Amino acid sequence: MGKSSATKDAQALFQSLRSAYAATPTNLKIIDLYVMFAVFTAVIQVVYMAIVGSFPFNSFLSGVLSGVGTAVLAVCLRIQVNKENKEFKDLPPERAFADFVLCNLVLHLVIMNFLG
Amino acid sequence: MARLSLIVLITIIPFISTLCSSFSPENPTDRRILVLLDDLALQSSHSLYFSSLQSRGYALDFKLADDSKIGLQRYGQYLYDGLILFCPSIDRFGGSIDSAAIVDFVDSGHDLIIAVDNSASERIREIATECGVDFDDAPVLFQGMGHSLNPANSLVLKALSASSSAYSANPKTKLSNPPSLTGSAISLVSVVQARNNARVLIAGSLSMFSNRFFRSGVQKAGSSIKHAKSGNEQFLTELSKWVFHERGHLKAVNVRHHKVGETDEPAMYRINDDLEYAVEIYEWSGKSWEPYVANDVQVQFYMMSPYVLKTLSTDQKGLYFTAFKVPDVYGVFQFKVEYQQLGYTSLSLSKQIPVRPFRHNEYERFLTAAFPYYGASFSMMAGFFIFTFAYLYNK
Repeated sequence: MGKSSATKDAQALFQSLRSAYAATPTNLKIIDLYVMFAVFTAVIQVVYMAIVGSFPFNSFLSGVLSGVGTAVLAVCLRIQVNKENKEFKDLPPERAFADFVLCNLVLHLVIMNFLG
Repeated sequence: MARLSLIVLITIIPFISTLCSSFSPENPTDRRILVLLDDLALQSSHSLYFSSLQSRGYALDFKLADDSKIGLQRYGQYLYDGLILFCPSIDRFGGSIDSAAIVDFVDSGHDLIIAVDNSASERIREIATECGVDFDDAPVLFQGMGHSLNPANSLVLKALSASSSAYSANPKTKLSNPPSLTGSAISLVSVVQARNNARVLIAGSLSMFSNRFFRSGVQKAGSSIKHAKSGNEQFLTELSKWVFHERGHLKAVNVRHHKVGETDEPAMYRINDDLEYAVEIYEWSGKSWEPYVANDVQVQFYMMSPYVLKTLSTDQKGLYFTAFKVPDVYGVFQFKVEYQQLGYTSLSLSKQIPVRPFRHNEYERFLTAAFPYYGASFSMMAGFFIFTFAYLYNK
């Protein structure tokens, strides 16, 4: 009785979360997908390093940090372009996206230099 | 006539140089020895010992210890390579010699033989104490004095120690207290090799060098076998060969090192280089340099502490060699050989060599193990590109 009610509660929770998330604007959903992709790439590399060892350590660092860095920058973009966030209401979303692109260019320049 | 004298001079020059070059690296045996005696009668009573030295090519200069004209050096140059002190009762040396001058003589790499008798003056005790030997005040058998070694001095060791049932006391007085020196702690003849390879022999008995002791028969206590001749002559002759560097003198030459497969010595190594190290070690036989054969010569690759310690292989012809990999640490290293073998002069070689890290273009590229990382980085870039379009054109 108790177990099935717990499952039911969890199902209800997911249902409500999903319906709430459905109201999120599309551009934020795209950012979320992008963040998940970046974090997943970073986690895969950490698992790979745990298996084969840390020998090309600089390559490992730049690979993982490219994933983590991308995720962090994307999260920053999401905070700035979220309409419900009143903190950045004066910042136009075009400006936020331009910052994001510039930071990504710098990040990938550093990653390429450190990868070899 | 002038031409003749020139020829004579030219023929003499090599001999002059052999006379002058005592204790050269090429011929480490001492040549000129000053013998200081209490009494010139010792010259005849100990003639067997002296003549065995003279027959081996030593120039002995006999002087009374209180002779006012004696001196060890003149104009900063030592006149002698070795010194024999057969003057146990001297209170004050003549000329410019004092105990400090004798210690300086040893400190500058020269050799010394001291023998005392039932008495030893303060001067002689002072010199012996400098060498790490304290004379006990009582004579023991073999007609002389036992002495104890300073345990803090690792350079001095016993050449002849008393039997385990011996004790050191004056046989003519009543023994009221237990003797301070007993058993094999009593040293009868001690030898010292200083860190500069100067050698010192300290004997508690002057009589053991005498003709009477050389010739006298000997019988071991509790044994019926009588030896017609005591072992003194052989023992002391061999010891004097050692003290005056006829034996046990090593030299190391031709230190070489290079990368495996090359022959030139580089000015610098890189971390993880494979290198080869070789050194030649020879032993002086009294006449010529013979290959030194041992299996315990080690080389250190040293920076504050040894990073590599390897035992050298030998070809039995004096060449010692090994090969090793430079450690994965950069800095200023040294090749060090510290060889201290009992009875031999110590070898101490060091050669400095810097070790550098990889140059920027010496690192390995495109490692198979790193492909996932490359792939991840490039996929993040591609993802950024796609994301940009998806984000901008998602209406």
